[in-house]
Amino acid sequence: MYPLTEIQLVLMNPTGLHARPASQFVQTAARFKSKVQIIAGSKRADGKSILNVMTMGLKKGADFTVSADGEDEAECLAALQALVEGNFGEG
Amino acid sequence: MTTFIGRGVVSGVALGRIKRPARDLTAYLERYRPGSVEEETSRLERALAGAKDQLQAILSGPSVDDTLSAIMGAHLMMLDDPGLVEYIMEKIREGDSAPRSVLAACEAYAAQFAALDDPYLRERAADIRDIGRRVAGLLLGVDGEGAGAQAVEARGVASNSGIVLCAPDIEPSVVAAYPPGQLQALLLGQGSTTSHAVIIAKARGIVTVVGLGEAVDEIPDGAEAIVDGDSGEVRLSPDEKERNAVLARIAAQAEQRRQDLADATLPAVTRDGVRVQLAANIGSPGEWENARALGAEGVGLFRSEFLFMGRDAFPSEEEQFAAYRQAAEGCGGHLCVIRTLDIGGDKPLAHLAIGHEDNPFLGWRAIRISLERTDLFRTQLKAILRAGCYGKVAVMLPMVISAGEIRQARAILTEATEELARERREFAADVPVGIMVETPAAAATASLLAPACDFFSIGTNDLVQYTLAVDRGNPKVAPLYSHFHPAVLRLIDATIQAARQQGIWVGMCGEMAGDPLAAPLLVGMGIDELSMSAPSIPQVKAVIRNLSICEAQEMREAALAMDDAAAVRAYLEKWRRSAAL
Repeated sequence: MYPLTEIQLVLMNPTGLHARPASQFVQTAARFKSKVQIIAGSKRADGKSILNVMTMGLKKGADFTVSADGEDEAECLAALQALVEGNFGEG
Repeated sequence: MTTFIGRGVVSGVALGRIKRPARDLTAYLERYRPGSVEEETSRLERALAGAKDQLQAILSGPSVDDTLSAIMGAHLMMLDDPGLVEYIMEKIREGDSAPRSVLAACEAYAAQFAALDDPYLRERAADIRDIGRRVAGLLLGVDGEGAGAQAVEARGVASNSGIVLCAPDIEPSVVAAYPPGQLQALLLGQGSTTSHAVIIAKARGIVTVVGLGEAVDEIPDGAEAIVDGDSGEVRLSPDEKERNAVLARIAAQAEQRRQDLADATLPAVTRDGVRVQLAANIGSPGEWENARALGAEGVGLFRSEFLFMGRDAFPSEEEQFAAYRQAAEGCGGHLCVIRTLDIGGDKPLAHLAIGHEDNPFLGWRAIRISLERTDLFRTQLKAILRAGCYGKVAVMLPMVISAGEIRQARAILTEATEELARERREFAADVPVGIMVETPAAAATASLLAPACDFFSIGTNDLVQYTLAVDRGNPKVAPLYSHFHPAVLRLIDATIQAARQQGIWVGMCGEMAGDPLAAPLLVGMGIDELSMSAPSIPQVKAVIRNLSICEAQEMREAALAMDDAAAVRAYLEKWRRSAAL
């Protein structure tokens, strides 16, 4: 069995992947060794690059895939999932 | 001698040599000799490290304020971005030189940002271009704009002639990099007054003219220029006589500024004893201290938007109460006029779905939103009423076009007081309610609206735009935008007369209120209060103190009889020269 290396997420925080949530996402991804990608529609971004993540322009309600590839991929995805599903700590 | 006309946004007159920052790189790029992929990669690494050092140096420099440090901090984060670095590396591996790769990668990101529909993210396009030029500059040996500027000085420019930066648009760090006093003026093709470069120029008092459009391309590098930040006029290659006249004006201006500042806290009373209240426009409670030091007697416009913008959810009643209370307490015995949420138009909110509008300025904005989203409006009114226990506050409604809107707003205000009473909270029961007169509709029906209001405040920025049907951000029509247009003057005069006849006070809180040229006219019309950005207060006070009310009333009559804005301006300028102001 291969560990799960992709998760589907929906952005539920009001501003979507705006500056602050995007920087939280990137900073969380950067804590792990795995390569992280965000895929939404035909767009694909390096999950450790704030410029790439921001230029995707993901808004509230957008669904997207996060993939991780590397020795700590499971922990990495769990952390990113918690961040997104916790609405980046927004009320 | 050639003359160009744009829109002056930071007042004063300046003399300097034109410097075109954007052109310099092209010449350097042509001279650049690229090495192997390995060489280009290691040059890139050194340049990236050097750029970070430059930004750190700016951040630890002597003239750093919050505005600058937020902008430069974001630039540092972008320099570290793996996506950007990888993009540049890809270009280098394809065989491009390091500087060209940097510029191409940054331009590609800038284009992506510029295409987004979020206005905050769109503005980041200028920032990423700024990064690109900084790194490319290091690779090309240009060594930053500041050093380039010093080189121009060293090439024998007259010592009393500074630098006039001229470009279609300009990166914020280019403006920031000049030591204080060296950059005399800024000339921009674009018409925005809210770009980071213009914000820094305003904060530093650098004479600025925007909206020159394609004319900026005709202004030659190295030419000497006289820049007038009041009239928006740019005159190239002045002769000796004109040059001397401008130098004398610059010296007089510096002396005047010193004198105005020394007298800033004295009241604004005409020679024959008519007093005008001078207040400040502020965007957050923290700005009050500086405004008071510059002579503000209260706040004529507290923009509550700052509480709502750049965040992810609406502020709670408690959060709003804390901010309004701080502002009210700060003002001491002076009045603090709080404008209710003024969004829409060019000020969207991320967490309020306004949706696409063909004409946002004619769309769902300001009071129109408040009267539909009564939940938001009631929360805001409750917070203002509670703050009223800690100082003198007033509620000001933006973009009103009819008495019905004021009645509706007052009904919601009554609901807010009832809710507060039920909740057994302390609140001020007698908070005055006024409107911003900023639509031709409100100005034309001022006498019908006055009975429903405790005061008027004339908002000239929108009033001019709506009356003249001119978008002031559009460089093609920017020269048509003037608060001295006869239609605008007549509407303002009618509004002031209606208010006076019905016994309510009337103020002004647009850019015109801070225009020292306009002050005699407004005093002659009978304005009670002028509210402006704090740095303008000392100068406007000085004008009022040099005026008699008879003189002001004569000027009002003369100006109202004129048939065009340029004639009114020329008339007022002549008066100012004769009054030696």
